[in-house]
Amino acid sequence: MASPPSLLSMSGITKSFPGVRALDGVDLDVQAGEVHCLLGQNGAGKSTLIKVLAGAHQPDTGTIRWRGEEVVLRSPIAAMRLGIATIYQELDLVEHLSVAENVHLGHEPTAAGFVVRRRTAKASTAALLKRLGHPEIDPGRLVGDLSAAQQQIVSMARALSHDVRLIVMDEPSAALDPDEVDNLFRIVGDLTADGVAVVYISHRLEEIRRIGDRVTVLKDGRAVAGGLPAKTTPTREVVSLMTGRTMEYVFPERPAAPPTGTPVLQVRGLARDGEFAPLDLEVHAGEIVGLAGLVGSGRSEILETVYGARKPTAGQVLVEGRPLRPGSVRAAVRAGVGLAPEERKAQALLMLESVTRNVSVSSLSRFSRAGWIDRGAERAAARAATRELSLRPDNPSVPVRTLSGGNQQKAVLARWLLRGCRVLLLDEPTRGVDVGARAELYAVVRRLADEGLAVLLVSSEVPEVLGLADRVLVLREGSVVHTAPAGELDEHRVLDLVMEGSPAS
Amino acid sequence: MSHPVSRVTSRRGLLFGTAAVSAGAFLAGCTSNESKDETPAANGQSAADDKPGKHVTIGFAGPQADHGWLNAINDNAKKRAEKYSDVTLEITEGSNDTAQQIGQIETLINKKVDVLVVLPADGKALTQVGLKAMRAGIPVVNLDRIFNTPQAYRCWIGGDNYGMGLNAGHYIGEKLKDKPDARVIELAGLDNLELTKQRTQGFDDALKNYPNIKKVARQAAEFTVESGQAKMAQLLQAQPKFDALWNHDDDQGVGALRAIEQAGRDDFLMVGGAGALSAFQAIKQDNGVLKATVLYPPTMAASAIDLARALGQGKGVGGLAEYEIPASLTLYSAVVDKTNVDQYMSTGFR
Amino acid sequence: MTQHVSPPRDGTGKTAPAGELPAWRGLMGRTDVRTLSLLGVLAALVVIGGVTKPDEFLDTRNLQLVLTQASVIGVVTVGMTFVITSGGIDLSVGAIVALASVWATTVATQEYGFAGILFTAVIVGVGCGLVNGLLIAYGGMVPFIATLAMLASARGLALQITDGRTQIVTVDGILDLGERDSYVLGVPPLVLVFAAVTIAGWLVLNRTTFGRRTVAVGGNAEAARLAGIDVRRQRLYLYLLSGLCCGIAAFLLIVLSGSGQNTNGNLYELDAIAAAIIGGTLLSGGRGTITGSVLGVLIFTTITNIFALNNLQSDVQQIAKGAIIVAAVLVQRRTASTT
Repeated sequence: MASPPSLLSMSGITKSFPGVRALDGVDLDVQAGEVHCLLGQNGAGKSTLIKVLAGAHQPDTGTIRWRGEEVVLRSPIAAMRLGIATIYQELDLVEHLSVAENVHLGHEPTAAGFVVRRRTAKASTAALLKRLGHPEIDPGRLVGDLSAAQQQIVSMARALSHDVRLIVMDEPSAALDPDEVDNLFRIVGDLTADGVAVVYISHRLEEIRRIGDRVTVLKDGRAVAGGLPAKTTPTREVVSLMTGRTMEYVFPERPAAPPTGTPVLQVRGLARDGEFAPLDLEVHAGEIVGLAGLVGSGRSEILETVYGARKPTAGQVLVEGRPLRPGSVRAAVRAGVGLAPEERKAQALLMLESVTRNVSVSSLSRFSRAGWIDRGAERAAARAATRELSLRPDNPSVPVRTLSGGNQQKAVLARWLLRGCRVLLLDEPTRGVDVGARAELYAVVRRLADEGLAVLLVSSEVPEVLGLADRVLVLREGSVVHTAPAGELDEHRVLDLVMEGSPAS
Repeated sequence: MSHPVSRVTSRRGLLFGTAAVSAGAFLAGCTSNESKDETPAANGQSAADDKPGKHVTIGFAGPQADHGWLNAINDNAKKRAEKYSDVTLEITEGSNDTAQQIGQIETLINKKVDVLVVLPADGKALTQVGLKAMRAGIPVVNLDRIFNTPQAYRCWIGGDNYGMGLNAGHYIGEKLKDKPDARVIELAGLDNLELTKQRTQGFDDALKNYPNIKKVARQAAEFTVESGQAKMAQLLQAQPKFDALWNHDDDQGVGALRAIEQAGRDDFLMVGGAGALSAFQAIKQDNGVLKATVLYPPTMAASAIDLARALGQGKGVGGLAEYEIPASLTLYSAVVDKTNVDQYMSTGFR
Repeated sequence: MTQHVSPPRDGTGKTAPAGELPAWRGLMGRTDVRTLSLLGVLAALVVIGGVTKPDEFLDTRNLQLVLTQASVIGVVTVGMTFVITSGGIDLSVGAIVALASVWATTVATQEYGFAGILFTAVIVGVGCGLVNGLLIAYGGMVPFIATLAMLASARGLALQITDGRTQIVTVDGILDLGERDSYVLGVPPLVLVFAAVTIAGWLVLNRTTFGRRTVAVGGNAEAARLAGIDVRRQRLYLYLLSGLCCGIAAFLLIVLSGSGQNTNGNLYELDAIAAAIIGGTLLSGGRGTITGSVLGVLIFTTITNIFALNNLQSDVQQIAKGAIIVAAVLVQRRTASTT
């Protein structure tokens, strides 16, 4: 055994929080120059593990070896000094500072110890951005003005501005388009070629196949498998390791006959200048219509405009034949439209409140007389709605922030179920929802449609749109380029349309 | 289904609108403070002789009149100037902002007024502009809040805070000198002002002459009615038995008297400070605890106009042998009680 | 409307199953710990007062005094608690109290007697709140700036009305209300108003749709908007409510001091914010407690009382007040994080 010691070797790491054992004896071994993928459902312990690695959490027991020597990562600065950088999913950039200032935050190049050498900082930032394939980002721009993908590049530039030996990336592709993902993978390739190790966290198995070398699977705070070959381990095996049971994405069956009659939701010539072109669509009761398109194709904007959260520049929305007042959320809600927005925590949930109050918030008038809330009735109704969606735990008085992503999404759906809505708008319904919980969520959506709801679905995951929707509208740069029953499309066809936009059919 | 709702809203809106308009009309009528008995400010006596002389333009700059006493200062100055056919008064908008006041005084200097009367918002901060006026050949009458250096004024006239405390102490001392183990309490003004410390010092010094009297408590209010009521209520609870109370300021005294009334106490005598009309009236009626008040007379502004006029006309002060106006005049903090209140009634401020 | 869910009043949820209890109790427990820590501070103060000045402090009249002195700022703090819970701030409360108390005690208003004074105080308060609310909710102004502007203008207007003079109230009905003769079973009428406002505030915040919407707007305004709540109207109502509380407080202050003065309500904004924050209301919004705010007010008033009874001077009082704010918040953080 003459092989050199691993770059990083964590063994027997445990970490407990009040009431939870987040890590229970985890081992992780990372070699220089490899892409080591970390897989696991939400709550499996991935975030805690990378926080220990970043020096943000101190483990209760266990040892960390860095190039064979035992180290204690007392703080994020200590980890950074060793050459460990972390790019968190929620980017930690200062919006009101420029790109260069963000990249050098905390280690600004200085003259005489305190005068910031702005020119040097800008030049080195520009070099880093070029290396990351984004020379078009101006180091002098404010970070708040950049797109999410560009911000991620800045975050990465910040990591590389240190002498980095290991980079942890937490779901870096979540907010990226396919070509941006390609760029990301090229960067990862360059880094590993230089001998830098990458710890890569993702929900997307196909990405792991493309760039991963080895895989460690976490489940319930334990490493259930370490160092599996990323390219050859069968999907079925990975999923079963993660979930503890064998399963793939399972989509519910579609109804035999397509629904007919008067559409519940009609969108006529709806447009917003600079966001999407005039759009017509109809959704019948019992029907799920999917919108497929890239980030920036106007998907979310369309949903929010239908909902009245954005004011259209043209066109109208009709629910059961009656036009809605444009730009009024309240009009839409009153007419029976509900939205499960893309950013659940920022746009839908009251994180300090219980599940009950999150569910009842749109239907308060139903439990109140003269403004007086009948809390017994409220609790009972919230319980009924969350039970119908099998929300776990089966206790609506727990704070909503303690729920998993999938159950938080169910809480949002329960809100609209309770409101008795006719039209449900779903924006990225499975974002942040782990593999095991997705199938259940798909079943819930289909069941709601079967009970008579009209569902309009937006997702960046093409298989999801194809598997769940009855009909699919393909969007490209704000225009519908193709419409077809989901059964007549496949992923390649959709991706072609999305990229090329040729409605060649 | 939203129609009935919106109709209800609009009817409610109409009702609300009507109510709002009538309430507005009512309120607009309620801002008036006109009352029938406007008091004449300064007394009729004058320091310089009354014969018209050379015409004098007097520039007057004071702070914002956000307090009854300061208001009385402005009134006194204006009324006094109106009395003289040979005086023109250039009065500035009162300001508490040092920079703004400096600007106003510089404007008066540029207008080449004959004499300046300045009550600075802050004596130390306005010294430079006083010097500037003096160098420009404009004599400055410094009113009450004193400049840093005598070079910045020709004549200073002001009240005596130490003397207020001293006289209040002596008045109380004389009333209680035969009472063994007498207890007095003090309701002071805003504690971060030097004048408050001076008033307390004078009071304490006076009490040293009366070994039978002990000051048992002191609390500082903030020259406001609200704080006077709050602090006095606490003092009354803290001291179930005492013989006399010295209150630095008649404005906060309104609140203090209210607290005394609410507590149902009348077993002590009270001495106020400054000389508000309401205090004078209470002393005259003599049916409450307030028996006297120690003056910090706003008539000093009228006297300042007299001095300015005399300076402008090159006269001395009538009644004194001097050819020149004195460099400094410290006013006496007279004690006003039932025996002499009628004489001062007209100088009381509201 | 068709329903996809069992109607809210169905029997299944009426009786809470056993599984719900622990978590529910956990939630209750957290609120209780917070309130208990404040009660602990108050109890400690009572012990200090009782030991240092047993005769003067532990006395019915002193209890009446402390509660009376707490009434005016207490009513203001109830309104402030709503505003802060919604994620806003109202810096103009002291100035509104000053303006309302001055407007309601002019010679012209006093001619209308008791009712005229009460009506004017309340309407001026509501009017200022309306302006604040319109500027913030529909004018898109930041609460800090809009209410700062109101602070300046209301104080200026109050000065203009009074000319710096103290306006003494001569209406007997008003003056009598502050006297011992009008105490109801030993309770001063001012304290009764304070209690009524507190109870009403608690019920509105905890038991009504208005309170629920206030919390939702403060917790996540965007989520509230997308859930169909009229966020702007809610904000308007909240500043109106704060203005109403200021109007009531101004009336109480007129009764208490027998006068109106433009210096009234000096620094009420800071006292009210401090009381709400040490009470456990989040400055960032989303959580508010009327009980905590009122306990905060009582703690401050009791401190002032103990200091005055012990004849300590204002410099010491101010230092101690600052120290107690820090201590109370630290104790709360400690207790909140261990549960």
